[in-house]
Amino acid sequence: MEIKVTVDTKGLSCPMPMMKLAKAVKGVNSGDYIEMLGTDPGTKSDLPKWCDKTGNVLVEQTDEPDGVFRFIIQKK
Amino acid sequence: MSGEKKTGVFGELYRLLFAKNWPVWVGAILAGMINVMMFAVATPWSGSAGYGSWGKNFYKVFNALGFDSAAALTDNKWAMLSIMIVLGSFVAALLSKNFAIRIPPVGELFKGLLGGALMAVGATVGIGCSIGGFFSGVPALSGGAIMLTIGLFLGTIVAVKYLFWEMEHLPGISTGRGRSLLGATEDKGNWQKVLGFIMLVVVAVVAYNYFKAGQPVIGWFVVMGGFLGFISQRSIFCIVRAFREPFMSGDADGAKGIIAGILVVLFGFVVIKTMNIGTGEALMRAREMKMVHNNFWLRGLLGGFVFGIGMTIAGGCAVGTLWRMGEGQVKLWFSALGFMLVSPISSKFVVPWVEDVLPFQMQFKNYLPDYLGYPGAVGLVLLILAVWYWFAVWNERTGKFSQF
Repeated sequence: MEIKVTVDTKGLSCPMPMMKLAKAVKGVNSGDYIEMLGTDPGTKSDLPKWCDKTGNVLVEQTDEPDGVFRFIIQKK
Repeated sequence: MSGEKKTGVFGELYRLLFAKNWPVWVGAILAGMINVMMFAVATPWSGSAGYGSWGKNFYKVFNALGFDSAAALTDNKWAMLSIMIVLGSFVAALLSKNFAIRIPPVGELFKGLLGGALMAVGATVGIGCSIGGFFSGVPALSGGAIMLTIGLFLGTIVAVKYLFWEMEHLPGISTGRGRSLLGATEDKGNWQKVLGFIMLVVVAVVAYNYFKAGQPVIGWFVVMGGFLGFISQRSIFCIVRAFREPFMSGDADGAKGIIAGILVVLFGFVVIKTMNIGTGEALMRAREMKMVHNNFWLRGLLGGFVFGIGMTIAGGCAVGTLWRMGEGQVKLWFSALGFMLVSPISSKFVVPWVEDVLPFQMQFKNYLPDYLGYPGAVGLVLLILAVWYWFAVWNERTGKFSQF
């Protein structure tokens, strides 16, 4: 799995993480993987809902040290 | 299910409360019920009054701007309510191991400060914020609150357009080194749970002391503030999300949740007003006019518009700012700072100017039942909520106004 783009939203609060992710997704091709790093707890519920709605796939979600969440999203 | 880890009865409850965020509608209904109880105790929920009290006390320390006679924070129910919302959220964030000091890039801190300052101007000019002007004002059947709500919508739309413009043309504002400190993972950071229980005891002790000192109203506001902070953090209860998301992701959950909360508040407030519950020696008319201010129509509209811009740029409304502070979002600390510092200045210098400039017909008290009767006023509010609900759900399905 090759990560095409990493979107670093550490420290950012809602709505900036989802805005940055949406912009990054627009800039890659279908099937590409995007890594997102964030610290806003709201993203944990916003992102799966957004993936359900848009058809993009949330491939992986892990908790990293210091309260950082890591998501891997595949563009539909 | 032999592989599943067994949990006890209280373990199951703990998981229910803290493993995942609650649906927004659960939080909004609970917050609505507390708002009704606050009205029964004294007066409906207001968000901006707490920031105003914090600010006046700040200037009082420096003997500046003539706020020497401002009541001490500990003697002001709004100041204590706001402090307890922060603490209640802190407790919830700790017990769910969601707490971390989240430091954004510098540009975001500036946006927080500016957003807070705009919210202060909007709340003082419009006589109400996302809570007092909207979540309490609309169910209180205030015509001015409806105008303020329209202003909130318009301000939000303008600010959402700005945020997208900023992403394209000034991406550096939200880019840079963001950091997170003291965060926990599933295996690490159990100190958060321990501190959470300690803070829970602190909240209880503060409330107990007010009751013991013969100040039950502030005591109840302390208790309710703690619950509001706790509920808001767990359910991501935030008015700005309800207004903003239809124009961003298209998600309608926030709007549906807040509408459910407003319905609860509407029901409770009408019962209290028509039955004259909890008035003590107050006149029924004074009870009816709670949260009905001289902001109909342009004054409420203008204030709501400025507040809507501020809350969208800050990323948190009056209550969203408070509970995100407790969660460790440093941007919202700056938002609260801007709100707190500008609120007394706006009250003292901007509001008198607005009052002079606007004719009486644009800033008077409009109590809807005076014109429509209670059935008509309640029907109007229900109609507005129905239109909002339809728009949010229709937009979620069609994506007509959403951007991503």
